[in-house]
This record gives sequence, structure tokens and C-alpha cells, in this order.
Amino acid sequence: MAAQARMRNSRVLIINLGSVGTEITKNLVLSGIGSLTILDNHNLCKDDIGNQFFSNREQVGVNRAVAAKLRIQDMNPRVKLDVFQDEFTAKPDTFFKQFDLIVATELSASHITIINAITRKYEISLYVTGLHGLFGYIFVDLIEFDAQDEKLKSAVSTMLGPISANREIIEVTERVDEEQNKVKELITTRNKFKPFETLLAEASLEGKLTRRQIKRLSSALPLLLAMFHFDMDFTDLTESSLAEKAIKVCKQLKVSPETLKPEYMKQFVEQASIEFAPVAAVIGGAVAQDCINILGKRQSPLNNFVFFDGVTLDMQVLEL
Amino acid sequence: MIQFEKTASIEVLGAENYAKLRHTKVLLVGAGGIGCELLKNLVLMGFGEVHVVDLDTIDLSNLNRQFLFRQRDIRQPKATTAVKAVQHISNSTLIAYQCNIQDTEKFPLSWFSQFALFFNALDNLEARRYVNQIAQLLHKPLIESGTAGFDGYIQPIIPGETECFDCTTKETPKTFPVCTIRSTPSQPVHCIVWAKNFLFPQLFSTSTTASANEDLGTDDPLEIERIRQETNELRELQEYIKSGDESRIPTIIEKLYTHDIEKLLAIENLWRTRQKPVPLGRFDLTDAVNPDFNAVWSLQEQLDCLANATKKLMKRQATEDQIDFDKDDVDSLEFVAAAANIRAHVFHLPIKSIFDIKQIAGNIIPAIATTNAIIAGLSSLASLRVLNLMKGFPVKSPKELNMAFTARASNIPTHRYLSNPVLASPNSRCPVCSVPRGVIKISGKALSSTKLQDLIEAIRQKYHYPGEVSVVDKSTQRLLADIDFDDLLEKSLLDLKIRSGVLLMIADERDDVVEIRAGSEFYIQEDSKNCASHPFLLPEMKVKMVKSEVEPPQESLENGLDETTTNVAQSSDVLIIDEDESGSKRKLEESELPPNKKAKHTEELVLLD
Repeated sequence: MAAQARMRNSRVLIINLGSVGTEITKNLVLSGIGSLTILDNHNLCKDDIGNQFFSNREQVGVNRAVAAKLRIQDMNPRVKLDVFQDEFTAKPDTFFKQFDLIVATELSASHITIINAITRKYEISLYVTGLHGLFGYIFVDLIEFDAQDEKLKSAVSTMLGPISANREIIEVTERVDEEQNKVKELITTRNKFKPFETLLAEASLEGKLTRRQIKRLSSALPLLLAMFHFDMDFTDLTESSLAEKAIKVCKQLKVSPETLKPEYMKQFVEQASIEFAPVAAVIGGAVAQDCINILGKRQSPLNNFVFFDGVTLDMQVLEL
Repeated sequence: MIQFEKTASIEVLGAENYAKLRHTKVLLVGAGGIGCELLKNLVLMGFGEVHVVDLDTIDLSNLNRQFLFRQRDIRQPKATTAVKAVQHISNSTLIAYQCNIQDTEKFPLSWFSQFALFFNALDNLEARRYVNQIAQLLHKPLIESGTAGFDGYIQPIIPGETECFDCTTKETPKTFPVCTIRSTPSQPVHCIVWAKNFLFPQLFSTSTTASANEDLGTDDPLEIERIRQETNELRELQEYIKSGDESRIPTIIEKLYTHDIEKLLAIENLWRTRQKPVPLGRFDLTDAVNPDFNAVWSLQEQLDCLANATKKLMKRQATEDQIDFDKDDVDSLEFVAAAANIRAHVFHLPIKSIFDIKQIAGNIIPAIATTNAIIAGLSSLASLRVLNLMKGFPVKSPKELNMAFTARASNIPTHRYLSNPVLASPNSRCPVCSVPRGVIKISGKALSSTKLQDLIEAIRQKYHYPGEVSVVDKSTQRLLADIDFDDLLEKSLLDLKIRSGVLLMIADERDDVVEIRAGSEFYIQEDSKNCASHPFLLPEMKVKMVKSEVEPPQESLENGLDETTTNVAQSSDVLIIDEDESGSKRKLEESELPPNKKAKHTEELVLLD
């Protein structure tokens, strides 16, 4: 199968092997990708034992990627596995050139911007994901991606042209499925993506959701975006500083600041950058599923921001 | 061993709720695709005690998605292997059972009552329904889940407050137990699944290369020998393929259709109620190939086709390393079709054309690891809400809770990854949760001294059934008594095999009144301690009057009530006990669960784990 062959030849880099990094690694290794490289400069601390299933208690103090290597390899001996103990910023840009796809986790906004500049330079697909307690996001930058989806032809032919802010149908071909005696349409959709920096500066929901959908939007979205405006260690994160930044985000998104629920703000302040295993499972599953898709089959990818609210199980894909 | 608390859980739940979690005991039913992921999550979160029940053993085909299992674990029990595989990250008490959850001797009702919550991570409707009924009977919350390909859902069920599993029709994909596929196929599709999902990957796309210093997880020499033998047999066939030596093809065919069938025949209890397969025996191969994919071929043509396809695949393997089944890849299709048809021949099943097999094989949805991971994550999060352990998000009413579907499953707009409706109220017509039910506690002595008549009289008086009632043993689908059948009334409960675990269903039989007493259900539980002074204790509950309706009205499609299960007494097969003089047996239908009439994907066959 062509898709399987593409998967087996693909080279993926995962930056940081915390809870969500571990979930993505597990899913990609099971799926049979060709080679996986893990870059992690953190040592396993006792907090990781609640999040990591590739290492054990006796390995506390050992580098996370090194500690996990044996168990990852054991899961699928065919995957070519490499681990590096450096921080990604310590690697020269050319190091990244070898990869088809990079998944970055546990990064601050400034680091996301750095890795995104590298992936843009070498035309590498990028997925960035991060968790704050019960909440999580996925940012996707595939630069430009032509997806092919097949569907049954309805009474009206699919028209060429833009279908949303970031997507445009560029080709429709018909195919008669003789086995099922039905006409199918093969639709090619051009997905455009924007760099993380642009998204952060310009993200807006205007014209993308109905008024009702905007009214019922989870606080998780503006708060996840507001968290990018703090530094890596969230040194000055308080309920009031978060509220201030979140209100700005709401204005930019064109949603009412009333969307922001106090209990959500409290949660974000208390659980900034905490990776909680079941949330990592959901986000890690979604990231890996999309990676497998774009590496193999090329059906429509996530475009371009996903938020997850672990309280209400709300999860949406928004073209920000 | 160094103990660590689960710090992320402490942060998210708060110290107080985390302490409660550490004392929470839950039941996980199923250790397959969703079950492995769930167990990992529950252990990482720090649940105090998790009991895992799974009947199955690990199969080669599980390894690409059930991430706790390795090649060396093949044929080991899933539950115990999964528990062993998470020990290194666990500070929970983990208990595994290789058992059928419906085994009432192993798991009496009292056993279920020790848990705060049940998780269903099952692959079949019957067991899901069973756990749902137990949850209703004990008023314990249940988190139900399921996946098929990219589709998946979770549904928290709070008895008495929210919809139960049987309140709405579920899309019930056809699933096949592994043993049916591997040992006792009874339909052509079973043979196609065997050829496509077991044989083909085993020969062409799975690696059996073990690392040199492989840890087999045991020191028992016999056990090590067994694992080695298991792996060797598998490797042997792969070696034949890899050798590229065409002269070995007859040996492969002989192994699959003669030696393996003979081994199956040796397991005598498989064939007590089934027609025995007949090993292929002597055969010759020719180079003739029938090009007509629409024709039903002879056995000779099947054998020639299999040999020819194997030859081509052998050659390709040298350059392609690993070949995956694809219905549009003619070599792989021919191989699977011929292999399935020869197996069908051996088991006396109809032979299909290659064209038909292409259709069926293309509709087998593979289980997808990422969907299982997402659904298990959602299930774990939902459990925290159900147990009300999420700091900062207290649950005031169960109707605030959400269920979740992956977007494709519910055809919701594309910007939603998940649809998350709040839980609905119970369906007042639900055959399960609208029926009043309780536990009858009875002493061991009373089981032999109480006549069926005495029990029925006590039930009639307590719950005000004025006229005749019918009594059905729901567990075995036996009619015990009704207006025309009183032969068994004088028999003791013991004689009638009414014992712990039996579910009795009572229905008001009057047909000449406007209002009748609603039906009720009683679970029999032997409990000599609490029944010292009375022979048996009936549960305190009210049974309402309801409108007498012979035919339930048709439900709208949206409402989705499965009418085949609306009146359980009518739709279940009823089998009169074959007692000496009453003699006549009337078995209505095969005890097959009613197929879902409204299932959208009726053509799809799903191989769940």
C-alpha cells in the first residue's frame, strides 16, 4: 500500500518526552513510522513518574529520552530510534533538515516561534502541542497542504473555490465506482497555514463561527491563547494578569470577555503547564492520528488550531 | 520499591480529592484496545484499586494497537499481562481476572458492589448490556465506551438519573470473537477475516524479529519453551516466504489446511455441537489460473490461485520488506480470497467469488490505536466528573455531565473534533432502566425448601400484582410460569435451578384491563447471613401501574428506541423447560441479540479488540 510505504519511509522528530510527548511517541511507534528521533534535555524527575510509562521509578535523574529508549524500542523493534539529550536550540538549524515532520511539546511561545522559523525554512510539517492541567491545544503548520478526500457525489457537484478562511477546493474529479455502482468525487483541497507568530498576533473568529457558537465558546480557547503571552516559567502569572491578557485575546478573537469563566481562570493559574495523563491521551491521540494521516493518506488535516476542554470534553478545530 | 504520588493528579484534583481517589476502587471490564489505554490512564492518575476482567488471550493481531502487549505475550491472558505491563508506573492495587464478566459464580452481585464505578471497555453487545444491568441493579455509575475505526464514543451512565446503555439504539457493528475466527468459523466472512487479518499479516507484514536479549518476563523453563515454540512456528512460515523458495508452497498449504485443522480436531469439545471440519488432504497444483473474478471457482482453481499469488508475493517481499493487504492490490486480494475459500471448503461453508470477497474484505474496519487512546482519555476524564473529584468544577447534577463522540461518528460540523452533548434523562420506555428491579436475598436452605409458588405469591402480594403473572428466568430465557403453564409451581427453587445470579422477570398477564402493574425484575442472591429469620427478603421498591399496551407505538427515528427490545418478554426467545410430562419444547428463535435495525453502517464489518 502506498500510504503504508510512505509511513515506513517517514522521519519524525519529537521534541520533549513528557506526558503528551510520550503519548504521541507510543501512537506513532505503534503505527509503524520509519524513524523516530527524540530530543529532550530534561532529566526524569519524580513528577514524571505519574506521566511517563516508558520509564520507571529507579530511573529518576536519568535523561527522559534515554530512560525511555528501551521500552519504546521494545514496542516496535522495526522503528529506527535515536535519542539526543540536547535542548533543541542547541542544535544547528541543519540538524532539522533531515525530518519530514516535527512534533514539539512543552515549549514557550518564543521557542515555538524559533522552531516554526526552522520548519518554515526547510518546509517541514510542524505540530505543536501543550497542556495546562485539564486543558490542551494543538497548533498545526503544514505551510501548504493539498488534501484529497473522496465522497459520494450528491445532486449538486462540488464547486471550486474557497470554502473557509484557510481552505480552497482546487480540483474535483469524478470517478465511477463500478463495484458499488456509484459516482464518487475526489476533492482536492488546498490548505493554507500561517506561522505561529502570525496566528498569535492576528487570530480572530470573526466570520468563522456563528454568533451562537461564539456565545457558547469554552473559556479554554481564549485562556490557552493568553497563556502564550507569559514566559516559560509563568513567573508573573496571577489571576489578574491572566484576566488582563485574556481580555485582550477576547477582543482580538472578537468574542465577548464574558466568555471567561472565573473557575477556568483559577484552574489555568494553578495548573499552568501541568501535564495530566488523561488529557495527554486525548491530545496525543489526536496529534498522532493527524500525523499518520498526512504522512500516509493525505486526507484533510487539522487546520490550524485545536483546543480541548477536559471538563466539558469540548474539542474544536478552528482556523485562527 | 520507591513510592511516588501522582503529582499531576494532586495538582489537578487537589489534595483532598486526590486522597479520595487513592481510596477509590473501580472495575475495568475489558483489557483490549480501549482497556489497555484506560488501565494506563487509571494507573497514571493514581486510582486506589483497579480490578481488570478479560476473558481473552493475546493474539498476534492485537500487537499493533494494544500497546501493553508484546510478541512474547501471545496466548497469555490479556488481563494479567496488562496488569504486569503497568506495574513499573503503578502505585495502585491491581487485580486481574481471566474470566467472563457474566460468570455469576465467579462474580456474584455482591462482588460488583465493592466498586465505586465500572468502566466498560468491551467489544460485544451482550457483555455491555450485562454490565449495564448490573449497574442499574446496584445503582453504580458506569462509563460506557466503544470505537470502530475513527469513530468512538463515551457515555457516563448514572442509574436513575441519566440514560442507560439500552435507552437508545446503539450502532452495533458486527463483531466476531477471536475463537470463531481462529477455530470455529461458521460463515464465509469468518474465513475472510481469518485470511485478511490473521494469515496475511502473519506471513507478509509482521516482524517476528526479537531483540537478542529479549526479556520473556518469566523464569519458568516450561513457559519459556512454550513461548519459543509459539514464536518458532510463526517464524517457520515467514521463513518459507522469505526464502523465496517456491517449492515450499505446498508445505505452507499443507500446514494451514491439513496439520492445523488436525490440531483443531483434537480439541474435542469444540466439535460437540458443530460439524467437524475435514482436513484438505492430498492435492496437486497446476499453473492454470482462472481470470474470471466474478465466477465461483472450484477447489482446484482456488489452490492454484493461492499458490500463484503466494509466488508473486514471495518475489515482492524480497524488495518490499513488508506487504500490507490492500483490496486493490491484486496479488494480496487473490491470496486472501483463495485462502479464505479453501478454509471455507474445509469447514463446509459456501465459496465466494473473488469479486464478492473484495467487497467484504474492503468493508472490514480495522481498529485504530489513536481512536482507542482518545476514547480512553475521555473515559478517564469523565470518571473524575462522575466521582465529583475535579477541583474547581463541582458537579451539582448528573445532567451537567457530558458524553462525547468523535466528529465522524455523529456527523457534526467539521470544526468540531468532538461532539459533547450533556446526558439525557432516562427513556421512560427503556426495556432495562424503566423496569423496577431489585435483589431478592435468600438463604441457602430456603432455596431447597421454597416452592416457586411461594416465591410468586410473595412477589404478587408485596408489589400488588392482583391477577396472574408470568415468570421468566431471564438468564436462561426459560418460561417458569404463566397463565397457561403451572406445571412447575410445586417445584423447589433448587430443582428449577433458581439460584444466585438468576434474574427473574415478572409481568402482569391480565389483558382485560386498561391499567396493569408494570413488569419487574429480581436478581436472586444467596445470602444466608441476612436471611436468618426469614427464608427470603424481597427488596423495598415501588412498582407503578402503567397503561396496558399490547403493541408499543412506533417510535420516531430520532427517538431511536429499539423496538425489538421494547417488550423483552416478547422478543426474547422463550424456552419451556423440558420437564417429563409437560414435554413440549417451544424454542422461538436462535438466541442471537436483535440486530440494530437502524444501524447506518450495516455493510461494515468491524474487527474490534
